[in-house]
Amino acid sequence: MKLGKTSETSRSRSRGEQELWAVPELPGVEEGRRQTLFHRWDPRIKIASLLLFSFCAASVGTVGTALLCCAVSASALMVAGTPWRLAARRIAAMAAFLAMFFVVLPLTVPVLPGDQVATLGHGTWIQINFRGFSVAALVAAKAMSVALLMEPLLRTSPFPRTVNALARLGVPDPLCQMLLIMYRYVFVFRHEMSRLWVGMNVRGFRPGTNRRTIHILGNFLGMLFVRSLERTERVHEAMLCRGFTGRFPTRESFRSTPLDWALGAGWVLGGVAVLLLDRYETLPFSGVFR
Amino acid sequence: MHLQAIPIHRPQQSASCVYRLEGVDYTYPNGNRALRGINLCIHEGDRIALLGHNGSGKTTLARVLSGLARPARGRVLFEEAPLEPHRLGHLRKKVGFLFQDPDDQLFCTSVLDDVLFGLINFQTPPEGAAQRALGALAQLGLEDTAHKAPHHLSYGQRKRAALAAVLALYPSVLILDEPTANLDPASEDLLAQVLKGYAGTLICISHDLLFLYGLCTRAVVLQDGCLHHDTSFEALISHRRSLQEHGLDFTFRFRCCDSPGRHVGAGRSPVRSTANDPSSSLPPARSAHVCRVSAGEAGSDACQRPEQPPILELHQYTYRYKDGAVALRDVSLQVRRGERVALVGPNGAGKSTLAACLAGIRSGSGRYRFDGKIVDNRRRRELWRHVGLLFQDSADQTVCSRCYDEVAFGLRNLGWPESKVHQKVRAMLRWAGLGDLENRVPQHLSGGERKRLALASVLAMEPDVLILDEPTAGLDPQAEENLLKLLDEVEATILLISHDICFVSMLTDRTILLHRGKIVRDVPTWRFLKDENLHSLYGLDFTYYNRCCREIQHLQETASETADGKGAPFNGL
Repeated sequence: MKLGKTSETSRSRSRGEQELWAVPELPGVEEGRRQTLFHRWDPRIKIASLLLFSFCAASVGTVGTALLCCAVSASALMVAGTPWRLAARRIAAMAAFLAMFFVVLPLTVPVLPGDQVATLGHGTWIQINFRGFSVAALVAAKAMSVALLMEPLLRTSPFPRTVNALARLGVPDPLCQMLLIMYRYVFVFRHEMSRLWVGMNVRGFRPGTNRRTIHILGNFLGMLFVRSLERTERVHEAMLCRGFTGRFPTRESFRSTPLDWALGAGWVLGGVAVLLLDRYETLPFSGVFR
Repeated sequence: MHLQAIPIHRPQQSASCVYRLEGVDYTYPNGNRALRGINLCIHEGDRIALLGHNGSGKTTLARVLSGLARPARGRVLFEEAPLEPHRLGHLRKKVGFLFQDPDDQLFCTSVLDDVLFGLINFQTPPEGAAQRALGALAQLGLEDTAHKAPHHLSYGQRKRAALAAVLALYPSVLILDEPTANLDPASEDLLAQVLKGYAGTLICISHDLLFLYGLCTRAVVLQDGCLHHDTSFEALISHRRSLQEHGLDFTFRFRCCDSPGRHVGAGRSPVRSTANDPSSSLPPARSAHVCRVSAGEAGSDACQRPEQPPILELHQYTYRYKDGAVALRDVSLQVRRGERVALVGPNGAGKSTLAACLAGIRSGSGRYRFDGKIVDNRRRRELWRHVGLLFQDSADQTVCSRCYDEVAFGLRNLGWPESKVHQKVRAMLRWAGLGDLENRVPQHLSGGERKRLALASVLAMEPDVLILDEPTAGLDPQAEENLLKLLDEVEATILLISHDICFVSMLTDRTILLHRGKIVRDVPTWRFLKDENLHSLYGLDFTYYNRCCREIQHLQETASETADGKGAPFNGL
């Protein structure tokens, strides 16, 4: 028994090492294997309805309803089961920009009757309008709700499937093709850029604030541009060699079920409800969100 | 003077002509005349090696044959009919073209999509298409990677995936541009097996004549855009003078083989000691010790050096990529000043990552000492002053608009005064054989010249350690030989990452074998070369390569004896 356990442990360790060594899987494919409600949802209806909800969330005018939208997005994130780490990274990327609103808006929002205003110093030239904080909070909450919703929208289907769904929804084909190729070549470009940068670093280049740095950075960008242009030509030729005639072939097929439509309708109704709560004070529960 | 000392290939009259080129000229928009009056007939089932110097027009000819470039003058006939725009669709169904850089050819988001791309474009029924795609992937050992993104594959895997995408179309003509560049021996062997089994017409551009031997039966040699030889491949390789004339003489590689064709430590020339004189045309000599190896010493531990303190020292060094993949595991090694060490191993073994860690580009966990001092973050940022790195692709190392500025780049970063920079740059350009090209744009140099420029720009900084990452990739044999001569003069401690067993044997004294991020062997090079089990165990089987060397040597000896006895046969093109 003990022996069996040991060999099992060693097997699992070696499997673990194997996995660690293995190259990572295409994230989209990995995500696609999970089976939450969002993963199973027809991407066309998912995109349309979640985007509509996002527009509604972006249109609300009170902090309460914006926070309600945030809560809905966070719940969607939980149901979709996508990693919080990635959502946090997305929000962190916006954080500095949103933080700026909390600094700038209290100083710049026009003073309306009834606003609470604090004056700094002896003069009257720095005024802090506390309504500015609530406007900043409204912007931040709206941005957060849309950003959180992007996770279940974009990470629950492989990227090519999402782009193909966009094409079915009427986004022009050339744009979708460009998105697909960009997704592939952004990695190649990043790699090329990092190699070129490392090539300069290992010969002692450290960017400074002088003319020489500007000159070298100009060369660096020029070189990247030339190389990208050459690669574009070669990629196009490689596509021609394999029968490309202007249309990217697709293997994706979409099939919607009544459940997909019901889910879509639910999100659209949710978005409309949020707007109504925001706009009409007489509606039940609307006071809670003001 | 053009030599015509080899017999002309006479194709079988029964085989039908797939391509016929009549007086084909091609000029690039910048005025560069890449092809001049090419007359060529390619028969069904031909297996052609397309050879010539870097920049002789090989790739342009391949582009003309695949319908990507339209000749400025002359005619291209495909299946006996002129290649007009309306026939390009038909041509593309039948002709497969493997590009040099696999990233040009893998443009979809998964490998399977890439392989299916052509099949769907050519209206193959979905079920048949999937079967063919998976079959092609399996043929090249990539069935497990079908759903992976191309950028998550190793270089060797990407190269094979690109070939799978072409082979899935069942082309009747296959054109390959440098298929073996940067491949490890195992991948190269797999590629050779697949191509040997390919029944159609094969046109292969490569500088690797040992790979082409046994694969191709006909050799077409270009020089300055003109067709210089069209002969049997065996006749070409057995005629050294013709090979020399076209920069294809790879017989310097035989120096690393003993009589039965096996690799031994090759005779490295004694190295001159140079002072740190900026006007010196030799690379700097900071290191005091130089180790010499000669073929005669192959039976013993060739490098009997006095105990020098290690210049590079790693202890239990581990490096993980951000995605969690382990690149190096508990690596411990010591490299002494003046040593020449080869880092070998299959693609993805961690060689380049180890080099990046030693050069201070990446930082892992474990202890790293440089010249006896612990490399902390502050020292790591200063390692560039002591460690020079020559990249696999010289284009990654050229950012300036003039060769002169390229060599001066590092010296200016070192803070040298301009007068000293000027002296040093001139000396280094002269040393690299680029003395009269100082105002040339680096991108306009040939592959060999660009490699020498990169080497000169690194060595100008007088590094204590020189790390070379696949220095021979994409070079023609003459450029390889020139590079070998230059490297042999370098006195800095050398770390050579290479799949080129010949360079390893001729340039290094010690070989470290990496496998899955671990050092599995650290032995004198001569011992590594003799241990055939070691090669096959870690996907570095050079048996086929050695056999080719032996056979070509024999062919050349026979041809030379014939020439001595009867006079060299002389045939016009």
